[in-house]
Amino acid sequence: MSLRERIQAWRYNYMPDHLIGEILTKRWTDNAIPFAVLVATIAIFGSAVSGFFKVASLQESTRQLGEFSLVVTGLTVVMLGGGIDLSVGSIFALSAFSAVAVFFIFEQPVWLALLAAIATGLLYGAINGYLVGFLRLRAFITTLVTFIIGRAIYDILVVSFAAQVQTSLASSDVWDFIGDETVFGLSISVLTAILLAIVTHVALTRSRPGWHVLAVGGSRRSAHNAGIRVRRTVFFTYVFSGLCSSIAGFLIACRLSGVGPGTGLNLEILALTAAVVGGNSLGGGRGSVVKGVMGAIIVLVMTNGLIRLGYGTGTTQLVLGVMLAVAVTIDIRWLKNRHKVLNEIYVAPVYLKMGETQSAAPGSGTPYELDDRLSEADYIGLGELEGPEDVILDRDDNLYCGTRHGEIVRFFAPDYKRSEVFAHVGGFPLGLAFDPDGNLISCVGAMGLYSISPEREVKKLSAETARSWTSVVDDARLRDPNDCDIAPDGRIYFTDSTKRYDAHDWALDSIENRPTGRLLVYDPKDGSTKTLLDGYRYTNGVCMAHDGKSLFFAESWACRVHRYWLEGPKAGTAECVIKDMPGYPDNINRASDGTYWMAWLGMRTPSFDLSLRHPDMRKRMTRRLPQDEWLFPNINTGGVVKFDENGRIVDTLGDLSGVSHPMVTSMREHKGYLFVGGILNNRIGRYRIAGADPDWTGPVSYWGEKR
Amino acid sequence: MIFDPILDHFRGKAVTIPPLDGAFRPNTLLDDAGVFSDLGEADNLAVSGGRLFASSGNAVYSFAVGCEPEIAARFPAPVTALAVGPGGDLAVALETGKLLIDGVEQALPSIVGCISALAFAADGTLWLANGSADHSIANWSADLMRRGASGSIWKRFPGSAQFSQAASGLAFPYGLLPVNGGVIFSESWKHRLVRLDSATGTQRTVADKLPGYPARLSPATGGGAWLAFFAPRNRLIELVLQETHYRMDMISLVPREFWIAPALSSGRSFLEPLQCGGIKTMGVHKPWSPSRSYGLVVRLGEKLQPLFSYHSRANGHRHGTCSAVELDGRLLVASKGGDCIVDAGPTDIAQQKVH
Repeated sequence: MSLRERIQAWRYNYMPDHLIGEILTKRWTDNAIPFAVLVATIAIFGSAVSGFFKVASLQESTRQLGEFSLVVTGLTVVMLGGGIDLSVGSIFALSAFSAVAVFFIFEQPVWLALLAAIATGLLYGAINGYLVGFLRLRAFITTLVTFIIGRAIYDILVVSFAAQVQTSLASSDVWDFIGDETVFGLSISVLTAILLAIVTHVALTRSRPGWHVLAVGGSRRSAHNAGIRVRRTVFFTYVFSGLCSSIAGFLIACRLSGVGPGTGLNLEILALTAAVVGGNSLGGGRGSVVKGVMGAIIVLVMTNGLIRLGYGTGTTQLVLGVMLAVAVTIDIRWLKNRHKVLNEIYVAPVYLKMGETQSAAPGSGTPYELDDRLSEADYIGLGELEGPEDVILDRDDNLYCGTRHGEIVRFFAPDYKRSEVFAHVGGFPLGLAFDPDGNLISCVGAMGLYSISPEREVKKLSAETARSWTSVVDDARLRDPNDCDIAPDGRIYFTDSTKRYDAHDWALDSIENRPTGRLLVYDPKDGSTKTLLDGYRYTNGVCMAHDGKSLFFAESWACRVHRYWLEGPKAGTAECVIKDMPGYPDNINRASDGTYWMAWLGMRTPSFDLSLRHPDMRKRMTRRLPQDEWLFPNINTGGVVKFDENGRIVDTLGDLSGVSHPMVTSMREHKGYLFVGGILNNRIGRYRIAGADPDWTGPVSYWGEKR
Repeated sequence: MIFDPILDHFRGKAVTIPPLDGAFRPNTLLDDAGVFSDLGEADNLAVSGGRLFASSGNAVYSFAVGCEPEIAARFPAPVTALAVGPGGDLAVALETGKLLIDGVEQALPSIVGCISALAFAADGTLWLANGSADHSIANWSADLMRRGASGSIWKRFPGSAQFSQAASGLAFPYGLLPVNGGVIFSESWKHRLVRLDSATGTQRTVADKLPGYPARLSPATGGGAWLAFFAPRNRLIELVLQETHYRMDMISLVPREFWIAPALSSGRSFLEPLQCGGIKTMGVHKPWSPSRSYGLVVRLGEKLQPLFSYHSRANGHRHGTCSAVELDGRLLVASKGGDCIVDAGPTDIAQQKVH
């Protein structure tokens, strides 16, 4: 092995490239950038501004923050619903004025002042909501207009009544308490903000109205088609925003005991920047309250920090503007390209040097030599079937197979011309096995292990196993359950081929070649599922040995067959019995003469084997070419291989014409015939096996004569 | 995306090829067409005096309309190119690098050993394309995969005994079409047609970004030319051409017929590379799937702009179309990968048939 190859092997087998793709599939990665900015902002200003972390300083900052994050929370909800509310500053100011007027001018109690503030906010919000939600005006223009009008009214009122407020003698302990005191070290505004944030978060993520808001923001049309009352939902987002701003307005009225021309000035820009910098999408549907609050902290720390460092208002505005521009750009580019990035980097190939293999070419004289015998098979279900991955026959000679439409189809003996949908399971039914009671056990791709009773009752047996400690993506879920077989004691042994790809993307796993296949066991006594073996390159077919003391399982991309011992001195361990085959093994089943049939789903090609030693080339291939152009193993040619108890190859059948059975994923012997299935084929083949026992059947071999 | 220029350093640019569109819109004309002759490995076609000459293996066959094919000449080595002169003299190049005219060996510069095309101009000047200085014709795929550019073009004036070099450093010149004052040649590895001026030796690209590997050219009635492509461009192959380490390992470790390289025919062995789109699904091999081999002949107009084309797609069999000629108003195409000469029908109504 050359030095370069050694380095490649080390680089691609020990660097966990695949984790980047897995982490990107997580929703929380959306929070990563705003969180990093938050930490950076606090760190920078915390060290630059002296006394930043002092209690008094924090107290004052957090009071401001409480009010501000209330406003941002309201705006976040509007943005999640797909709108925008520029009038939050005006609502804030007018509500503050209402509270001040009621308290100081009319000398009413505090609770009435609060109610007046809230009523102002609700009314204001309702006007916005009516215009945008029901009359369907443009949110941006509408709220811009209501913002200007509201601000104008506020300016008139402030000028007219400022003197009266100043000269008022009204006072209240409650008013002062709200404005100045703390509870457990936290000011009322911070407590209110936290409370409201929690309530809003729970409502958005765990309640029907909250989901409606997200659905409307994500796609109005889909939400409408799903029966959501879009206009009403939009209306209420504005009302909610009005409510939040009014509470904030009341709180600032208490804190300042008055209002001035500067109250709520430029608040809408600050709030919008905060919401967007936090990572809430301007397009709606994506975001959260937590993001809004993070954005609020970032913006406030930054503006206050800049002011305390001696920079003027101009600088602060400039920095805010730049932040908003950057955040919007990242938001839009990220939203648009996230799935592309994920697609590009998800496949993370590893290095593998396949062993030298014997040739399967006709005329090569090896036991693997392929021929054309399978092309003589009769067709069953030609043109009706799509994707019979596995086939099985019952005691009455009826033939069953799964299809890519999620159905189990039954063909009736003796001529297999008539068929019916035996059961609809969903997913992609792959491996099949009959238990002693005649239940059909199936590994259903993308779903799990299922049982179908003779009365067609579909029952889920297992869809998960224990999660491994180091997994990023939850590997408890069964992604690609592939084949199963049943031990004499009733336990079901089955394979889950890969943790990295869903069932329909099974072939992509060959490009990556990362060993994530598992062998699992389901115990019908207590319904538990255990992982027995992990870390194989696409575990596939499973077959109980004739004596029931061990089982064979195929490791497809490594072209190997292993034996797992159920009892005896080696119980619980696996050993390799066939290695370095020229084809990729799939399902394994019993043969009548005490040997085993094994399907080859495809053939190794020298160019693909070589590419396994060049993971960098495969990686670039997945990034630079569309999937249709990727180099694959040759899965247009398969075959059926017969091997004995010791792993010696007895016979090999093929269809080199490639017409009937280009790919073989399963075969089942029954009364002297071999029934052949293929996951990408449109038929089942029936091939007469020369010299086979004409009475042998699978159910009798497993469970004896009918009781 | 605005970050593309930055990100490209980390992930590389997408590999793209010209689409089969416009004049190259796919059809199945070559597969639907009748067989003119089931000549194995039919390679180079030439027309003279109402007769068709075709090279196949070690022999040149001659066809007269309504007559059985007869062997015009047989040689000790495979024929790599042929041309018929104005006087009916048959020029034949062999894989050994020899050039014979009417059976007489001609003197050649020592560097010429990979003759891919021959053509007589109207004045009797003989043009000769030497595909590569490093590889023989049989090793053309090695020349491509080593990104060879050592081909050259030679000419010999009537009456002269010596060839003179007209151009060199070419990436496998594979077709010649003498025109007034020069020659148009196809530069296969660069997917383009170039006009070479006989007097000054200047080269001018007249058609580029072609969607396949161009092979031989022949004149068309009414002006313009027929251009045959022996293989399609394929994005995986273009990627492999960029992947030096993989390519070099492939050249040294993998048998040549199983390389990720263009081919004259494909799908005959399970050891050949397969691309995802080429997987047979539900008994169907998608015609638009990526393929290493293809059949494509295009009619070029007077300014060598493509007008319309004949295809044998990924699921077809008339692949490896190395040359196409007109005979009595019918288009004949040699499909080296499909082991036959295809009679693609009258050329005058071809355009209506395509569109």
